[in-house]
Amino acid sequence: MPINRRLILAHFWLAFVVFAAACALGVWQMWVRSPLAAPQDVPERYYQSVTAHGVSMAYVLTTFFIMGFGYFVAETALKRELPGKTWAWAAYGIAVVGVLMTVMSIAAGQASVLYTFYPPMTATIWFYVGLVLVVVGSWIWCALMLVAMARFKRDNPGVPVPLAMYATVANAVMWLWTTVGVAAEILFQIIPAVMGWTQTIDVGLSRTLFSWTLHAIVYFWLLPAYIAFYTMAPRAAGGRLYSDTMGRLSFVLFLLYSLPVGMHHLFMDPEHSTGFKFVQMSLTALVSIPTLLTVFTISASLELAGRLRGGKGLLGWIRALPWDRPMVLATGLAFFMLWFGGGGGLINMSYGMNAMIHNTSWVTAHFHLIFGGTVILMYFAIAYEIWPSLTRQPFRSATLQRFQLWLWAVGMMVMTIPWHFLGLQGQWRRVATFDYSDPRISAWGPWVVVSLVGGVMLLVSALLFVWILIPKRYSPAPAPAPTYAFALAVHPPHRVPAALNGFFLWNILVAVLMVAAYGFPILQFFMGDAPQAVIHRLSGG
Amino acid sequence: MPDPVTREDRRWSLWAGVIVAGVLTFSLLVGFVVLPLAQAPNANLDAWTAICRAVGLQPGTPAQPQPPVSATAAPVSQVRWTPATLQILDAADLRPGAALASAVCADCHGAEGFSTSADVPQLAGQSAPVIYKQLTDYRSGARAHPQMTDVAKALTEVQLAQIAAYYAGYRKHDALGRSQELPSDPIARLAHRGDPSRGLAPCESCHARASGGPPEAPILTGQRADYLVSQMKAFKTGQRRNDVYRRMRDVAGALTDDEIARLGQFYQGVY
Repeated sequence: MPINRRLILAHFWLAFVVFAAACALGVWQMWVRSPLAAPQDVPERYYQSVTAHGVSMAYVLTTFFIMGFGYFVAETALKRELPGKTWAWAAYGIAVVGVLMTVMSIAAGQASVLYTFYPPMTATIWFYVGLVLVVVGSWIWCALMLVAMARFKRDNPGVPVPLAMYATVANAVMWLWTTVGVAAEILFQIIPAVMGWTQTIDVGLSRTLFSWTLHAIVYFWLLPAYIAFYTMAPRAAGGRLYSDTMGRLSFVLFLLYSLPVGMHHLFMDPEHSTGFKFVQMSLTALVSIPTLLTVFTISASLELAGRLRGGKGLLGWIRALPWDRPMVLATGLAFFMLWFGGGGGLINMSYGMNAMIHNTSWVTAHFHLIFGGTVILMYFAIAYEIWPSLTRQPFRSATLQRFQLWLWAVGMMVMTIPWHFLGLQGQWRRVATFDYSDPRISAWGPWVVVSLVGGVMLLVSALLFVWILIPKRYSPAPAPAPTYAFALAVHPPHRVPAALNGFFLWNILVAVLMVAAYGFPILQFFMGDAPQAVIHRLSGG
Repeated sequence: MPDPVTREDRRWSLWAGVIVAGVLTFSLLVGFVVLPLAQAPNANLDAWTAICRAVGLQPGTPAQPQPPVSATAAPVSQVRWTPATLQILDAADLRPGAALASAVCADCHGAEGFSTSADVPQLAGQSAPVIYKQLTDYRSGARAHPQMTDVAKALTEVQLAQIAAYYAGYRKHDALGRSQELPSDPIARLAHRGDPSRGLAPCESCHARASGGPPEAPILTGQRADYLVSQMKAFKTGQRRNDVYRRMRDVAGALTDDEIARLGQFYQGVY
């Protein structure tokens, strides 16, 4: 059982409570966009709600979950005490203060700029300071992860860092790289604008800096799901991980190819040349390699488990898997959604095809399917998997958990399939209201109502999830839970190449790729008179 | 003790570097050389220009230029929100502004911006860019008024900015604001939510403090109803034309006279 269980639980609880509230906002947003009469149907409220939903899901839920999970992995995978426990609590405190500042700014209607900021709109300074504090908290977490791995390596020369920890540190390293872009945007562009030190802002540069962060941050959210695929699912299925090396390789490839690719969010932007857009597109395409490596490795691991359980024939092993276990079920459902979400993503990242769906509901559907589907589903499974070792109370049955996972997966499909369809019809995103009396779009109405039904299913599932985690009075008396064990590889590594036991080489390669992909595109803003935009202040009223 | 660097480790570094460099070289070659060269003939570009455009060293798209239009568009308002204009507003000194206001403006608009007559607009708490733009439009002839045209023409650009900064400094209490609950009343609904079926955006998406709308959009709360009604009617008939992109002419044109009258009352705060 982890010694710092209070620390880990504090992170998880904050993440999940904010998550449930954000789900409720999401349902209301779908309601407002639908032809049905919704309460508080004012555009201003809509943008306020979208901001709260985005910030809660993208910054609060993810960051706190990942930090808590990182502390759990550092203790249980390394089987050592966490270094800098005080620092960890300090990081938590800083991030909580940041969350409070941000939430209060949004609630006061002073920060309806959406979670992607969109300069030249600016919010109150407290909104940005709050978010910076959340990031500072996460930087402390990154440092603690690096220290924990370094001390393990120092005390165990020649012993491979366990895969779960190696992957967690890969995520921490990636996060440090990722946050450079948005930190530069906030510190050097947005804060001077908010404070009135500048009257105009270079939106091209700020969009470029945000794109640096915008794609890698998605992989920051995604990697815990992959950690669960590699180090939890095979064991939960009753087997072993097919290849430890494949796992390490996948995580370093994510580190390499999640960063120099953000410009694929700017394909329709005028400030960059076609050549750099092409370079970043081709690097984006390489993200499919670790994804496919993972699909192969995890499928192979599950096949091993299925055959050990008596599965025969070409596909008989699938039926033999223990689908009643939440981790196995969630892995299956997450893989299913990964195919759809990944397929949509290939269209988004293709320079030409992107033009069809840019700024339509298709994009919203894509990231809800990948993040809300695959990633969140695995967050649920991770919570179910490690909760007994944190609370010392085993769950009485997994029936409710299975129902909750199914409800989430089905709800997400019901919500996102109409969105994808409407995106292809041209339904624009980031719009508060539609005039369904217009014959050109009146046919969209019923599809939006279907999405709303999916949203309601998701909200019910989210509330059920939180309810399942609350310790019950009738639960069995606290008992010392067995130490949590991660999945072993078929051939556990005795010695791995230094390249796959650390990040020195990969940091150098990331730096090379970032200079090649972002060097000139950022430099060009300083070479001549870049056009400036008037700042539109959304706070102070 | 650090791990000894083995031959295997060196091989990993070498091959990882080679593969990443290879991938990068491939994308650079295709993105900056192959595709530009392949597409250059279609766009009537020579090879070197095509490569420079792909890198971003030359601007523009390779599209054929459109035939030029002979008529030159004359903008109604001469005000442009350039960094230079914003700098003038930002640097405006309030003290000469106060002196000018009391000498030139106070008779009608009040020393603190509270006007004495129903058809004279309140200036207290109005945003500085709004006052500046209207004065500049009077000066350029984009907007006309028997008294205001002469007043504005007698002042310099910097003086206009000083007066604007002075009146903007009086923050009046907003009787109505952005955080109002949505009543069922159709006029309040128009202000807060607009009317998509007529293509009308909510008034508040531009006309509230910190709405993020265009700088020239005035704050309407507490403004005099008579003045608001006369201006909306002037926009509707086309008598007043100094609105950028003819936004207000389009909006007012879609409103009924009854709605105009009630919106005026609504924003004055007596509705």
